[in-house]
Amino acid sequence: MTVRSRPLSPHLQIYRWTITMTMSIVHRATGIANYAGMALLAIWLAAAAWGQEPLNLVNDIYGSWFGQLVLFAFTWSLIHHMLGGIRHFIWDFIIGMEPGQRETLAWANLVLSIVLTLLVWTVFVWMA
Amino acid sequence: MRETVITRDMVADPKTKYGNARASTRHFITQRLTGAINIAFLIFLLFVVVRLAGQDRPDMVAVLGNGWIGLPLAALLVVVAVHMRNGMRDVLEDYFAGSLYRLLMLLNTLFCILVAVAGVAALLKLVFWG
Repeated sequence: MTVRSRPLSPHLQIYRWTITMTMSIVHRATGIANYAGMALLAIWLAAAAWGQEPLNLVNDIYGSWFGQLVLFAFTWSLIHHMLGGIRHFIWDFIIGMEPGQRETLAWANLVLSIVLTLLVWTVFVWMA
Repeated sequence: MRETVITRDMVADPKTKYGNARASTRHFITQRLTGAINIAFLIFLLFVVVRLAGQDRPDMVAVLGNGWIGLPLAALLVVVAVHMRNGMRDVLEDYFAGSLYRLLMLLNTLFCILVAVAGVAALLKLVFWG
């Protein structure tokens, strides 16, 4: 018996992809990433409290190219989530909800997060 | 918030006040409050990480062992843990229900407690015992 593909009811894919929904999804994703990333901070602090040997191990891992990549992404994730949170504070005062305004805020969120991340890493890591 | 099963009839009838008004408002306010404090945390964290990334233990002790840095950072870590648990609850509520939700919520709480306890214990050790 052959099985024909059955018609599906329209779901998420019928909607036009908008910047506001993207930033909403990214806000949640960065929140989850920050959640996991906080373990990295706890491990670093615990290693420092423990002794020089564990700290050397953590510094080697975090200082490797992959560790640096993760920390760079973590920096962006934290900054993006913070800016997204500030956007929610703005919305709490019923400001910036009109069409156009909310798109501007969403784009500002994305652009500022990238600019600030690059600024932080340029000033404090690459030039230091 | 302990979830109640929301039926079609409950949704259709505006007189049924499903959900927990108190706990949900508290959730909202807690998330805003801890989020605002976390802005301070991020700037502080940035300072600490930039100052100490890749440094040896004596440097870590010199900076974090200073009570004016180590203790506020410990307090902020606790606030972050509350924000983490609250935020992850939002996610879990959206995608899971019933006993699986409760199990994941338990793991969520345990992870947040673990991060906070490990971080705070490490900072207290650095501040008071070097």
